[in-house]
Amino acid sequence: MLPATWSRLTCRALSRQGQRALSLFSSSGPSNWTKVVSDAEKIVGYPTSFMSLRCLLSDELSNVAMHVRKLVGTQHPLLNTARGFVYDSRNNLQMRGLIVLLLSKAAGPSHTASDLLSQDMVSGIYPSQRNLAEITELIHTAFLVHRGVVNLKEWTVSDGPLKDMEFGNKMAVLSGDFLLANACTGLAELNNTKVVELISSAIGDLVQGIYYENSINPENSLNDGVDVASWEEQTFLSNGALLAKSCQAAMELAQHDKESQKLAYKYGKHLSLGHKLNSDLQPFVKSSVGEPLSFSLSAAPVVFHRQIVGQERWHQQLQQVQTQRNQLDYSKLLAAVKSEKGVSTAVDLCSYHSNKALEAIQAFPSSEARSALENIASAVTKF
Amino acid sequence: MAGPWWRQCKRWTTICGNTSLFETLWQSNSRSASFTASSLGRTSTNSRPGNERQSSVTPTETHLKRLHFTSSISRHKSRLLDPKLQTCSCRKIHSDAKLLDPFTLAQRDLKSLYDDIRKELFVSKEELKYVCDYYFDGKGKAIRPMIVVLMARALNIHSNRSGDLLPGQRAIAMISEMIHTASLVHDDVIDGSDKRRGKNTINEMWGERKAILAGDFILSAASMALARIGNITVVKVLSQVIEDLVRGEFMQLGSKENENERFKHYLEKTFKKTASLIANSCKAVSILVNSDPEVHEIAYQYGRNVGIAFQLVDDVLDFTSGANQLGKPSAADLKLGLATGPVLFACQQFPELHAMIMRRFSSKGDVDRAWQYVLQSDGVQQTNFLAQRYCQEAIRQISMLRPSAERDALIRLTEMVLTRDK
Repeated sequence: MLPATWSRLTCRALSRQGQRALSLFSSSGPSNWTKVVSDAEKIVGYPTSFMSLRCLLSDELSNVAMHVRKLVGTQHPLLNTARGFVYDSRNNLQMRGLIVLLLSKAAGPSHTASDLLSQDMVSGIYPSQRNLAEITELIHTAFLVHRGVVNLKEWTVSDGPLKDMEFGNKMAVLSGDFLLANACTGLAELNNTKVVELISSAIGDLVQGIYYENSINPENSLNDGVDVASWEEQTFLSNGALLAKSCQAAMELAQHDKESQKLAYKYGKHLSLGHKLNSDLQPFVKSSVGEPLSFSLSAAPVVFHRQIVGQERWHQQLQQVQTQRNQLDYSKLLAAVKSEKGVSTAVDLCSYHSNKALEAIQAFPSSEARSALENIASAVTKF
Repeated sequence: MAGPWWRQCKRWTTICGNTSLFETLWQSNSRSASFTASSLGRTSTNSRPGNERQSSVTPTETHLKRLHFTSSISRHKSRLLDPKLQTCSCRKIHSDAKLLDPFTLAQRDLKSLYDDIRKELFVSKEELKYVCDYYFDGKGKAIRPMIVVLMARALNIHSNRSGDLLPGQRAIAMISEMIHTASLVHDDVIDGSDKRRGKNTINEMWGERKAILAGDFILSAASMALARIGNITVVKVLSQVIEDLVRGEFMQLGSKENENERFKHYLEKTFKKTASLIANSCKAVSILVNSDPEVHEIAYQYGRNVGIAFQLVDDVLDFTSGANQLGKPSAADLKLGLATGPVLFACQQFPELHAMIMRRFSSKGDVDRAWQYVLQSDGVQQTNFLAQRYCQEAIRQISMLRPSAERDALIRLTEMVLTRDK
């Protein structure tokens, strides 16, 4: 038992190093971001997530890990998700937890809480806020896993044996549920029903956001163009609600007033939207040499582009860039999108959200933690 | 009078080798392990009021007719027909109350159950709303909410109040059904089921991805409703259920080599997957009205014992009920590779089953052969017998509450659990 645990621990420690090393040489992902994040990690004390560690070390998940090996060679998304725990190309592994911790620290001890409670603080953060940060990560990871469930009716031979795909689904459902269940019990232990309600509603938002993602098929020409406002609404659900509400909950846990809660929520919301725009924009603002170009048709610049040029022209453009094998020539499509205002709309929107996030935290007292939050908010506009 | 008991116990003791029945199957899983053989003998001699005896015999008879007992098993029929085996009361059962069946009695508190649930599942996205509402069509049995509202009323009366439900208790009834349904939706994906309650499953209709999200959404809505009750202890009690449900599902993945461990594993899994929700929901409504931990424990133990009995009967029905009655094909568990009570008992008579259990009935013909072995053995009868023991303990617990129509309905409910055919 012990050696197994040990090797898993070492494995995780190595993977953290690996991930840092990787990001140094990684061409994708803004290097500025990496530095900002690793600086910030030092401010909040230990960044390692004990709760997620406990989950990873549990019998249940190590069982899954063993089974996941069977999936090697198949196309089941669980494999990639599992890989993602180790290597995250953008190095934003546990970024959400980090933000929650930084905001907790920036807001400081509350005036209403007793001194006794303040003694429990580690690096200026309450233990309950640390637990919350980990719960946020657990929920995020749970949905990464659940996002990887596949529809078996869409199975094709190239995915690998159907039996393996069924098995992959089973593992994905179970391990996602396991993480969510641990998040639920962790939430209850925070001893604050307001926080339980808030974070539960964030889970509901996340589901709605992902459900929407699934139901729009960008290649399906029948979909109407989405305007900026509804893009923001949907993206908030799938990419922002969890962080925004966790930031708010961190204030609630330290008994900060409604105003601080509102500001924390705003920071989380705008940062998430800015960050999403930043990553959607990457293929459009970088000259990637040698890398095969590809991007999602639901990436923000494309969505805005479609709205600007109208459905009819969009379809023409799509047809024009189709290769003989019925695939899309992404470099041609990229040029088409770049020739219009889709990219600049996205860049402008990104700056807007970055500024909004910066604005939100100005009310917090100046501190190391606040500067880190400012740096992170500014970093989303760097490409 | 206690004759049949002792014969059964002796049989079991021999079957289980050097470990006694009560050690392996009963105490191993029981927190209030006060249910000893001697107390069994004593309590079973208590006779029940004559007017109730009638009602308890009839369903048993019909039940037995439905079971596909082989001739060797039907010899034991008389034993099961003894009304004193069905129910034993440790205190005198309140016999003045009008005997309403539990469903009728709970109905007044459950009228708006599904409407309330659908309100909790508010979401603007039309399709997601439709998928989430899919199983809340009013056609489910709503056993859990029924137990919860009866328990709440019994506890309220026990606590010198009027029986009327507190808002939080009403919410618990709703939440119990929501958590249950959310886990069904995920289970159907895990098991690859295409039918549930005579309907196509959500995964069959909308695919696995949407089914998982619908389950997650129902769970989040349940969790919000739970938080809104505003009692953190209640939140903790029901969050434990969510964890138990998943751990129970994980437990189904493995098989144990050792027979005693296998039974323990099976009962623990049964507790986690089925009984924990009922037990903790009962505990939660108790917490909301009474501060006495002993009362919470009564509520919890009733729910736990009824819950395990309920699942044991469910596992029997998988062998004895026709496909159309259960809304799912029979031998479903075997096909999923799961060895439930009837198989585990049968394995004691037919050791050939051991290898099949270990390979999870995966070889060709395993399911049919295992099916035959189970029907030739008295596995079905033994599992029913075990379910009776759990029901008796449930009755012993609930009888500690002050008499009320609802308390008596909970006692009668244990009979219905044992005699249900779907």
